[in-house]
Amino acid sequence: MDKIASLKKFLNPKKIAVIGASKSKDKVGGIVFRRLLDSRRRLFPVNPKENAIEGHKVCPDIQSLPEDIDLAIITISAAAAVKSVEMCIKKGIPNYILVAGGFGEVGAEGRELEEKLTRLAKEKNVNILGPNSLGIFLPDENIDTIFVEHGDKALDRNGRVACIVQSGSVGVEALGYASNTGYGMRAFVGLGNKCDLDEIDFLHYFARDEKTNCLGFYLENIEKGRQFLTAAKDATKDKPVVVLKAGRTHTAASAVSSHTGKLAGSDNVISGALKQFGIQRVYDDEEFCDATKVLSMLSGAPGNRVAVLTAAGGYGVMCTDFIEKKDMRAPLKMAKLSKDTQKRIKEATFPFAACENPVDITASADDRMFSQSLDILIEDDGVDIIICIAFFAPPGISENLIDIIADKIKKSDKPVIVFTKYGPFTDNSIKNLYYAGVAAYPSVGRAVRAARFLVERTKIKQRLEQEA
Amino acid sequence: MEKKLKLWFETFGDKENPDEFDAKQLVKLYSIKVPKGKRLGPEDELNINDIKPPYVVKVCSSNILHKTEQKGVLLNSDKECIQDNFKLMQDRFPKKNILVENQSTYMGPEFIIGIIKDPALGHAVMVGAGGVLTEIYKDTAFRLVPCSVNEATDMIDELVLSPVFDNFRGMSLDKKKLAQAISQVSRLAHDLGDKLSQLDINPIVFSDGEWIALDVKVMFEE
Repeated sequence: MDKIASLKKFLNPKKIAVIGASKSKDKVGGIVFRRLLDSRRRLFPVNPKENAIEGHKVCPDIQSLPEDIDLAIITISAAAAVKSVEMCIKKGIPNYILVAGGFGEVGAEGRELEEKLTRLAKEKNVNILGPNSLGIFLPDENIDTIFVEHGDKALDRNGRVACIVQSGSVGVEALGYASNTGYGMRAFVGLGNKCDLDEIDFLHYFARDEKTNCLGFYLENIEKGRQFLTAAKDATKDKPVVVLKAGRTHTAASAVSSHTGKLAGSDNVISGALKQFGIQRVYDDEEFCDATKVLSMLSGAPGNRVAVLTAAGGYGVMCTDFIEKKDMRAPLKMAKLSKDTQKRIKEATFPFAACENPVDITASADDRMFSQSLDILIEDDGVDIIICIAFFAPPGISENLIDIIADKIKKSDKPVIVFTKYGPFTDNSIKNLYYAGVAAYPSVGRAVRAARFLVERTKIKQRLEQEA
Repeated sequence: MEKKLKLWFETFGDKENPDEFDAKQLVKLYSIKVPKGKRLGPEDELNINDIKPPYVVKVCSSNILHKTEQKGVLLNSDKECIQDNFKLMQDRFPKKNILVENQSTYMGPEFIIGIIKDPALGHAVMVGAGGVLTEIYKDTAFRLVPCSVNEATDMIDELVLSPVFDNFRGMSLDKKKLAQAISQVSRLAHDLGDKLSQLDINPIVFSDGEWIALDVKVMFEE
């Protein structure tokens, strides 16, 4: 079977064996097994030392497993894990997740074990994820093999971002951040050491996956650089591709006798290459989540003229500074509001409201004024993007504002991004906005940066269409 | 390999490493303009009737990386003093070739176009603020090769220096032609393949409606 087609079963298995499943809630084999209890799949724990776990009969060995297992999750340690894979292959199991570390990352012996896995995958035509993989998590399919805490329920809402991460902790922290503030996760895949399945396989898969509308990668090394870039460029025609690339690539030592060699010393080449292939680069896990969130929720921006609507004057000014600041991302500018827009906002709010951009309707504003002003800004032809500074502290403003804004955004073909803060309830506010369909951020800088991602995305799409 | 490249490899002077003159002939094959010039041997008499003054006189050897620092460049020679300056350079570098070129007058800033080989991604082309201070400015943009004219235009737009193309202080520089040059250099790197280690065109300047490569350095893999 074609590798990409075969991943369908990998990511949506009916029968799952957990090698090393354990009664103990502290062991990886115990955690993974318990996570899968919610999955409504048929589970087959394997452990010679146990009889039953959580009411499931335990198989004493791999030989006693049924013939038609779709996925084996191997939770035991390195050398034993490889032996288990060999035995499972004899049983005809096609897909594997290897959780354990202790392979290529620890030295020669581990590297040998890892090479053996690579050979097995190739010769026996099976899929192996890992070793050292965090696992997979697909909320819609109700599949979750991730053995660390990650707010799985919070992410369980028809998400459309596929996150493919190489490293455990960065992936986990991104998940944690995402679940605190609301995030639409379609899939999470921990690549680990990439003995077989790698970023290119999942890029191909999720580029064609109907439920995915944005792909995010966290990568430490891209061995098949050109192949990844070419595949990503192909995907980016339909879906934004975001890459968090850590680890600078060093130019070979021989290349320092030229000016160009000296200037390329940092990761300038990878930055240029990502741009060339239509990929949006980010630099940390927060930016990764911010970018994929907004790109998944909004489909770009018709232009780069931003209107700012605020009830808090200071933040309006700050927002203007961020918009006008020179940035390595797409440039933005403050929209010039028409006379008519300014007049209508004054009529809807107060004669003393500041109606040049930023529009400050003051702390005396109420929900209705906010809502009408937003409408008027959306209707102004000189506005491409609206940043809405929403605070719930003013007495006239209630949490109904969330639904009001959400309703407008759904009807508007112009993107609206919200910056909000609500003291200790900030994260919750952002999460509620997310559930209502609004991309919100807890700082001015991040809200403005989100607008840049959208402008950047539209430019990429236009360029690709030009080339076609 | 392209026929024109094969021919170049058969004819270039120093078989180990191309000198400036050979390197210029190489980029010329890819439509990069270079000043009219002549390479003269250690025993040669000055014979440059077909080159117009003013002249620049340079030592021409792949072993000398920093010509300026070693007093290997003399600018602004006119018809009267070229003979003396040529002799002066021959005396300074007795066993080396000497390159005598027409000295271009140009407008606006100096740019650099270069090629390096990234261990993971292969050859990349660079454009940047050029000249002797290029490594201080670090105003550069990179793309993998081959790189289209559109992509090269994006590279130029990324530079801090890019506003010089918007009629800055009355300068009228041709952005499209610079983008074409970048794309051509990337094509050269693509065609040379693994053999090529690094390439510097620094500076490349806008003179008489064309971008001209004033200095070119090419390094091959050992």
